Amino acid sequence: MLFNSLSFILFLIIVLALYYSKILNWTNKKRMLLLSSYVFYGMWNPPLVILLWISTMIDWTAGKRLAVEENQKKRKMWLMLSMFVNLGFLGFFKYGDFLLENFVTIVNSVGIDFQAKPMDILLPMGISFYTFQTMSYTIDMYKRKTERARTFLDFALYVTFFPQLVAGPIVRAKDLITQFYEEKKATTNQFIWGLFLLTIGLFQKVVMADTLLAGTSDDVFGSTKLLHGIDAWVGTIAFSGQIFFDFAGYSTCAIGIALMLGIILPDNFKYPYASLGFSDLWRRWHISLSSWLRDYLYIPLGGNRHGITRLYAALMITMLLGGLWHGAAWTFMVWGGLHGTYLILERLQRRFLPFEITKWNGMFLAFITFSCVNITWVFFRARTFEKAWDMIKSMFYMQTGGEKILDTFTIIKVTTVIAILFLCHWFMRNTSMKDVSLKTSPYVLGVVWAIMTFLLIIAQGSGEQFIYFQF
Amino acid sequence: MKLKKSLIFAIAITLIATIGWELYWRSNGFVASVDDNDALWAVERAKVDKLSKDDIVLIGSSRVHFDIQLDKWKEKTGRKPIQLACGGSSPLPIFHDIVNTSSFNGTILVGVTPPLFFSTTFPEAQPWAWPLARVNHFHDRTFAQRLNHQLSIPLQNSFAYISEAQGVDGLKLEELIGKVKIGERTIDPMPPFHDFSVTRLDRNVRMKKRMETDTTYANTVKRVWQFFFESGGPPPDKKSTMEFFLKDLEKFKEKGGHVILLRCPSSDVFREIENKITPRDTVWDELVAKAGVKAYHFEDYPQLQNFTLPEWSHLKADHADYFTEELIKILKQDNEIPNQ
Repeated sequence: MLFNSLSFILFLIIVLALYYSKILNWTNKKRMLLLSSYVFYGMWNPPLVILLWISTMIDWTAGKRLAVEENQKKRKMWLMLSMFVNLGFLGFFKYGDFLLENFVTIVNSVGIDFQAKPMDILLPMGISFYTFQTMSYTIDMYKRKTERARTFLDFALYVTFFPQLVAGPIVRAKDLITQFYEEKKATTNQFIWGLFLLTIGLFQKVVMADTLLAGTSDDVFGSTKLLHGIDAWVGTIAFSGQIFFDFAGYSTCAIGIALMLGIILPDNFKYPYASLGFSDLWRRWHISLSSWLRDYLYIPLGGNRHGITRLYAALMITMLLGGLWHGAAWTFMVWGGLHGTYLILERLQRRFLPFEITKWNGMFLAFITFSCVNITWVFFRARTFEKAWDMIKSMFYMQTGGEKILDTFTIIKVTTVIAILFLCHWFMRNTSMKDVSLKTSPYVLGVVWAIMTFLLIIAQGSGEQFIYFQF
Repeated sequence: MKLKKSLIFAIAITLIATIGWELYWRSNGFVASVDDNDALWAVERAKVDKLSKDDIVLIGSSRVHFDIQLDKWKEKTGRKPIQLACGGSSPLPIFHDIVNTSSFNGTILVGVTPPLFFSTTFPEAQPWAWPLARVNHFHDRTFAQRLNHQLSIPLQNSFAYISEAQGVDGLKLEELIGKVKIGERTIDPMPPFHDFSVTRLDRNVRMKKRMETDTTYANTVKRVWQFFFESGGPPPDKKSTMEFFLKDLEKFKEKGGHVILLRCPSSDVFREIENKITPRDTVWDELVAKAGVKAYHFEDYPQLQNFTLPEWSHLKADHADYFTEELIKILKQDNEIPNQ
């Protein structure tokens, strides 16, 4: 079920009515939330709920044993079981065809004539999110960083909680399971603020991403022609805006819906396009994934504790695997590799060419960071290396005489939207929406809310899927 | 934080703005109607699997869609056909789907618009890709998509501004923004295309009254047809389309199914072009001979001629009623459909 759909509106109304009705006690409310979460997921493809159940059962059992087991070997075995099942699901459903394709290429390259039919495996929605979330529980249990979930119901709800099930934020057990122990009820202000966040999230997705930017990015990246430089840049920044609004929109909806239930989810985006450098970017973009990769991959790989070379290697491996997490294609690896390179170059700059960031050079630095990020999006969005390379050639005018496919108004529209996006991020980078709203007159806030809602209504979103669902 | 005040204020403004928006579009001649989209098509397609041997399914392109009126058919035969025709499309992917994935073995009336029927079997070509997308949607639709469609029906029936129309008639924000043009950096040579149909929940389509009364409006559609004629396009692929159809036809006959071929009227420039690129003797006549099923060409029946086609290709609404009635008389005479 998609947040931007009529069925979800009906679903949410029913869930909220039951949640705030007096007929259910807290345990039954949690049962209702769990059942609703399965319905939410099953409305897309019911049999794939079984994967969720398996993941839940395995990690619940592993967590239970890890809580009492003292034998280190056995503890490791339980951890390995959890990782084997979760990564096994990911490997099979997400990377099965990719691995097969590369195996065939390698075998053919050594002269063995072998062809394999693609398995055409259906990618279960949000599998990368819930497997990472549930793995964090067993890893934390293994490291004794978190306590065992009190009941199976609490744990199952942690794995399946519908607002963040299919596209995050990836929440740590200690931050979410504990919230299920005591009865939760949103205050009136929390409920209305949650509704406001849901509106903003939907506005970002339906109006900003789907209505204003997606068409341009689809046209440019879907074109088989070698494009004019302006078209390539505009298509790229359109995608840059689209993916931000799409994903941040989902996260904002998730946080808002959870808040309407009295549950607090962590922020996932903090105005990333005004980042001052790439370390700053990864503290602001998809925060729950970058902190997951930092805690469960970068630090175990050595982090910054074993010298410069090991640090750079850990950074690069983390970013390459982070890229691969997004999709089973080499273009995603290149995207991750570029970010890894940026992070390494940034550390080299800090070491050999340090300079102070002032309010005067800050905006310029943010703009440079944003521009470099845009280049990486080319590899993220292009379906093939040929297309990505054509785009890069067009963007840097290595190829003259490219085709013009965008009309003047589209160019003005996209550049205006992206300029406003960048400026908003710049002016908001050290504050929050909550702080700004506190300083705003309730009538002005009401007008802003009404404008967003009205634009949502007339945009008539046709239920476009969120980009991150495919990851 | 005085959020309650903000919420009430937001609701009030949104309500006023939405009512104003709806009234504005109604005052501009737009009316609430159902979108002929993949979801609506899938609902009708799902009914096919439950039909009996005496039932009829209509497939083809826009001519069968406009020219055969379901109410008239029901009035004259006692049974309402299932309308699965799709504009600008080849009927072959839909026929293939019914033959190969449904147990239906009643009657399928296949509308033959030669430039579309014989256009292609290439999956990515528009006349094939459009109907195939509908077939795929029918097989792949999720429970959430089905529910979304059901929930959208009352809204589509109530609000004129809720519409999936594209281009000049589009009312979605994206379409409205898309109408703004500055300069001539790129030129879209296609003239503006008005949607001249009114679709019902059972996918019955009637031509808009305005097409009969407003010549300028009808001429905009003619200009689009002329644009297509002048743009040319790939030549018809008679061999592969014929083979594809005949193979499925044999399979359907083996299942006990019955097929009727129908060539609906066209006129003036449209007819001239059709005669040029898909001459009757080498295309229609050959198809009829090879298919071995009853076939009806409008030129062979005086009662199926001399209609008003405001844009050369589709019948105006009341003439579509008359055409349906006359066609049924002929089919009954030939015992092609039960004479109730």
